[in-house]
Amino acid sequence: MIIIGEKINGTRKAVGLAIRERDTEFIKQLALSQVQAGSHYLDVNAGTSPEREPDDMVWLVETIQETTDAPLCLDSANPKALKAALDRVVKTPLINSVSGEKQRLEGVLPLALEYKTGLILLALDDKVGIPSTCAGRMEIVDHLVGLAKDGGLEESQLYVDPLVTAISTGDKNALITYDSIKAVATAYPKAHITCGLSNISFGMPLRSLINQTFLSMCIQVGLDSAITDPNDRNLMGVMLAAEMLMGKDKYCQNYSRAYRAGRIGPKNI
Amino acid sequence: MADLKDLFTAVVEMQEDTALSLTHSYLDQGIPAIDIFNCYQDALAEIGKRFEQQIYFIPELIMSGEMMKVSAEILKPYLAAQDSGSGGQTQKKLGKVLIATVEGDIHDIGKNIAAMMLELNGFDVMDIGVDVPADKIIEEAMAFGADVIGLSGLLTLAFDPMKSVVEKLKEKGLRDKVKVLIGGGQMDEQVCSYVGADAFVNDAVVGVNFIKGWLN
Repeated sequence: MIIIGEKINGTRKAVGLAIRERDTEFIKQLALSQVQAGSHYLDVNAGTSPEREPDDMVWLVETIQETTDAPLCLDSANPKALKAALDRVVKTPLINSVSGEKQRLEGVLPLALEYKTGLILLALDDKVGIPSTCAGRMEIVDHLVGLAKDGGLEESQLYVDPLVTAISTGDKNALITYDSIKAVATAYPKAHITCGLSNISFGMPLRSLINQTFLSMCIQVGLDSAITDPNDRNLMGVMLAAEMLMGKDKYCQNYSRAYRAGRIGPKNI
Repeated sequence: MADLKDLFTAVVEMQEDTALSLTHSYLDQGIPAIDIFNCYQDALAEIGKRFEQQIYFIPELIMSGEMMKVSAEILKPYLAAQDSGSGGQTQKKLGKVLIATVEGDIHDIGKNIAAMMLELNGFDVMDIGVDVPADKIIEEAMAFGADVIGLSGLLTLAFDPMKSVVEKLKEKGLRDKVKVLIGGGQMDEQVCSYVGADAFVNDAVVGVNFIKGWLN
């Protein structure tokens, strides 16, 4: 499972403040704790206005790289901010994200191709938004994967996000995501499949219970990456157990290592 | 007005089938359609209250919306026939609300729920979709004669397009003609004053209450 740690996001109040005040220690700590908890990539989202974003992104990238060599996932729709960050990253990053929206196709995709980065592809566009069927989402995914491959990216550099809509607004919404995950896994066996899982529980009580259950069900149908909070030990426990139960954890070592390191399970045993 | 307590309870408790059969049986008994309609409205208000208390959640809002729609279809011919007698009160809308997700944002869940709740509460609602440019929002709002413009957005990217709607309203000298309400998970006092909106809300039920307060 490839974990993309989501916490360095300027739309979260404390992080937004740290960015404005250039609180280096806060950002370093946030980066480090996510890496220690098992993140493979760190999402970086400045969440600021377009004029400030390039400077803020550069500061974030440089600050994070002073404390960890984990690769970054540059999360922006702003070509200027992305370009500034791309010129400073040490390891090949992911770009989050390209969708069928014109602005992202024209502004973001060329940068991913030029810098040969990994790329998250979202199954939505500006004509229909998020399609309400698996077939509709696959139509967009096919188009985007085609563009990325034609532009020189390997299938294994692609992270398809089939998208998750709230179960509270449609009781079949999770099923659409499972079907889409299966369809992507079949059509593009080398591509990764990632998701922002927590949308599923929007508008419902006990969200973490829903998120955990949904994660294990997505893993069963082929999810192999998640954009999530790696410090959520309950969620990480479910993730490791689900992968193990899908035969993807040789001699159960990921699971038992995490247990021995005290990263999963109740805190005081 | 007839005592329709069992209907009220059925709707509030999400008993779809019971509510439906009670609606039919009250109509058969000759209970005025407007009384039944008002009972549904009262039930809806109670459901809204429970939502605010976090006893009910979005699925209950949507389900009550469905029940309202079904009942409205059944009641419509009776309401029309009885309208002369009731002084046209069923036709009277509380006010006009134009709602859109602003340019650059395509999230529609919050907007759709808000539009539904407003309609159910007796507002005349025009929903012009997602990713709508400021000029179009203003043009449509003026053509519609909106009392309130509801701007929805989930992303922080939505702040500037929201601000642009307010600024363009000012430029055109229209700012005093409409109230502007912004809605979305990221909205707060600070965003509201940045955008220059009249108020912000984080959920649909609060939004309905705000607009009721303005237009009553």
